[in-house]
Amino acid sequence: MPRETNLVKIIGEDSFKKLRSSKCLLVGAGGIGSELLKDIILMEFGEIHIVDLDTIDLSNLNRQFLFRQKDIKQPKSTTAVKAVQHFNNSKLVPYQGNVMDISAFPLHWFQQFDIVFNALDNLAARRYVNKISQFLSLPLLESGTAGFDGYMQPIIPGKTECFECTKKETPKTFPVCTIRSTPSQPIHCIVWAKNFLFNQLFASEASINEDDDKDWGTDDSEEIKRIKQETNELHELQKIVISKDVSRIPEILRKLFVQDINKLLAIENLWKTRTRPVPLSDSQIKGPTQAIKFDSNSVGTLQEQISHFFTTTRKLMDRYAKEQNHIEFDKDDADTLEFVVTAANIRCHIFNIPMKSVFDIKQIAGNIIPAIATTNAIIAGLSSLISLRVLNLLEYAPVTKYTDLNMAFTAKASNLSQNRYLSNPKLAPPNCNCPVCSKVCRGVIRLSSDCLKKIKLSDLVCLIREKYAFPNDISLLDASNQRLLLDYDFEDLNDRTLSEVNLGNGSILLFSDEEGDTMVRKSIELYLDVNDELPHNTCRLPDIEVPLLKVGSNLSKNEVEEANKRDNDIATATGSDGVEGIVVLDEDEGDIIIDTEQVNESKKRSADIEVSGGPSIKRAKLVNELNNSDVVELD
Amino acid sequence: MNGEKLSEDEIALYDRQIRLWGLAAQANMRSAKVLLINLGAVGSEITKSIVLSGIGHLTIMDGHKVTEEDLGSQFFIGSEDIGQWKIDATKERIQDLNPRVELNFDKQTLREKDEGFFQQFDLIVATEMKADEAIKINTLTRRLNIPLYIAGSNGLFAYIFIDLIEFISEDEKLQSMRPTFVGPISSNRSIIEVNTRKDEEDAKKTFERIKIKNSYKSLEEVLSTATLKEKMTRRQLKRVTSVLPLTLCLLQHEFNQKGEEISFEQMKRDAFVWCEQLGVPKTVINDEYTQQFIKQKGIEFAPVAAIIGGAVAQDVINILGKRLSPLNNFIVLDGITLDMPLFEF
Repeated sequence: MPRETNLVKIIGEDSFKKLRSSKCLLVGAGGIGSELLKDIILMEFGEIHIVDLDTIDLSNLNRQFLFRQKDIKQPKSTTAVKAVQHFNNSKLVPYQGNVMDISAFPLHWFQQFDIVFNALDNLAARRYVNKISQFLSLPLLESGTAGFDGYMQPIIPGKTECFECTKKETPKTFPVCTIRSTPSQPIHCIVWAKNFLFNQLFASEASINEDDDKDWGTDDSEEIKRIKQETNELHELQKIVISKDVSRIPEILRKLFVQDINKLLAIENLWKTRTRPVPLSDSQIKGPTQAIKFDSNSVGTLQEQISHFFTTTRKLMDRYAKEQNHIEFDKDDADTLEFVVTAANIRCHIFNIPMKSVFDIKQIAGNIIPAIATTNAIIAGLSSLISLRVLNLLEYAPVTKYTDLNMAFTAKASNLSQNRYLSNPKLAPPNCNCPVCSKVCRGVIRLSSDCLKKIKLSDLVCLIREKYAFPNDISLLDASNQRLLLDYDFEDLNDRTLSEVNLGNGSILLFSDEEGDTMVRKSIELYLDVNDELPHNTCRLPDIEVPLLKVGSNLSKNEVEEANKRDNDIATATGSDGVEGIVVLDEDEGDIIIDTEQVNESKKRSADIEVSGGPSIKRAKLVNELNNSDVVELD
Repeated sequence: MNGEKLSEDEIALYDRQIRLWGLAAQANMRSAKVLLINLGAVGSEITKSIVLSGIGHLTIMDGHKVTEEDLGSQFFIGSEDIGQWKIDATKERIQDLNPRVELNFDKQTLREKDEGFFQQFDLIVATEMKADEAIKINTLTRRLNIPLYIAGSNGLFAYIFIDLIEFISEDEKLQSMRPTFVGPISSNRSIIEVNTRKDEEDAKKTFERIKIKNSYKSLEEVLSTATLKEKMTRRQLKRVTSVLPLTLCLLQHEFNQKGEEISFEQMKRDAFVWCEQLGVPKTVINDEYTQQFIKQKGIEFAPVAAIIGGAVAQDVINILGKRLSPLNNFIVLDGITLDMPLFEF
């Protein structure tokens, strides 16, 4: 019997045919991406396009099962496609590139797909694909994992929450004074060594640009003055690096670990409640007596750290000139990593903080998030499974409203529940305050490139005004960089062409009604999609409804409620369950923090938690933000 | 290899998972010997995950030849392999995943093996089992005191049965406002010891090391005594997924009737009997699910295999690494709603 026999038993002949003629986009061919590729091939999707900009690394091999030792340094997308050939039955199109590269992947390129699977590892690309999916009303399956934790969320533009409907946590930051004057944890010293010391010595171009209104974390002017002065002095140290005179390395050590510490000690205020740091003694500052190999899992002695600081600084000084006076920190570049490790550990010792192993510091300095094959397999399985319902291919489980679909996240493994392996809350409707999916209308202007040079801003405004019945007073903003192009008292650019005001492929315009007193036209966001396959002189505005709204009320909220009412009517007809309130749980309830590999961001909601005594089922909502790949950032 | 320290190469290769479960767990895994019975879709998923993760030894037992249908759900085979012994066709591709793992391939069937063969393993995973085979292998693992995982699927629906006989696990967690006490925490699990330790870096934090005794039942016993009465509130019982009674129903039918087809009426009657025994209202059973269960009986589907295969593999890794509490003892997946509850029978 043919290979699709079982699939047809599950989804039926018609749906099988639909799948065979479906085109999907897989963004990412890493941890989740390899798993997804396998699953959607076996589901017999007709055509699969795979975008990934990355190359294969040794540490990928514990989970990215399509890659081998011999593939290291090869592109992931094309290697993955080669690796699946023996079981593949779909048309596969790999691209090595950044999905955010608009010249390689313009908006109209995305339009060919029926569904998008996200298997990304960074917040920026997730946001970007989400935005594209909103402009094109393209269903998106978002997913992410971090260690044992993972989530999968279908996003149906206009119908369910988008990626931006919940706030994403920004990277953790530390006040300057904690890093520069009063460290109390190993991470403070690691941030100091990596973001401050390493950059000042090997990466920066010796420019002093201290920003006065930054978060110093202190009002002590004496301390701020000291920090600024210290930065200036560091440029003196950079001169030692430039001189390549390795006999001066002790000067670096003396400056960092004796003089600067003594200056700190002189500020009495700092040490009223803190343990005083102890500077290195002269006898401790000496180079290696013999070459030592650093064991990545043990900490070693202070003297070993100092010796190794000599060795690694010498190597970096040697490289500095050869590499055009610029070395970037890279966790996989042993010299840079070991410099940061030794500098951080010496500083830890001085401040009475436990030292850390190379293995541990690499994780913190390199923002490494643990990742395993099993969680990725589970999340990819969920994502591919739900695609059947998003595309409405299960006849016996038809989708009447998209908020009946489920998202899913690990519950047992994440310690959120003892009696569920997964939690599967239903999708929420769009958040009416979401700037990406709800606050404005969205559409795409499709135009040929010659139009950019021909169409004046005033022409475009006329077209938009007529098409969507906007009044005379409007404002036009370049939303990509918040640049004002036009409003009632700024008309200087009226006669300029689109290209003259730097609008082009990928620009996003925000068009707003500035006139309405009681009723206003909802703002509209228009994406400029320049496509040379269009005939000359083509400029097509999207056929969308831009509603008139009452001033003063929570405009978009009314609208969303309207839409929900419509959806609920359908639901009542088909019999929905009585979901009543929404309870926001304390973050403590979840008791997990997810730092991610693939995730970088995610949300968690505990599903249908029983409330004792109450007659209603309360849907508890627990949003747990995952952070960006940059776990640490120095202000 | 046993007990030896991990090499720098291994640490680099397994970096991203060692950061999750530590060097000791990784070293423990390397000394473990696992048997996987049947290399179908679920079997392939389990194989992939545990081979990648660096288990010491895996024996794969499969007495089937590759069919065209297999191509629809399995990724270790290609169309050129049709008619070959499955283990011959997949051998190289599996070893290629991780050359460090010692692999053994065996074409013999369960029936041809004696007890001594099974005795060498630390853990057995069985997939695509007929109910009578499952019960037979479970009787054997009980006698030999070997942990057993059974995973099976019916199209969009799937289950995992776990029998570790008795297993003491140690979990560590941050102490909350309410300290943990010794005593039973559910029908199959009880806390037998709690120790605390202060965090080295942050004296305000206290960790609790909790020893939990997990008890299990045999599949045969589960099939005759499984109930949720007194384990759940009425509201919870009302919301139990129909996948649970329907899965148990198919397993039992298979055991009693061997291979005979089940009619819709029969299936519904049996499902109602199961509802009664479980203490679940009959209203959870709907005709659509009942029909689909009959239609999709025994079928493997890649995404479902990925989910339950992933869940089984992770639990195998957890108990071999001697970290984290194991699953206990019956899990079902509803591939339509993505509901995946755990039940203790």
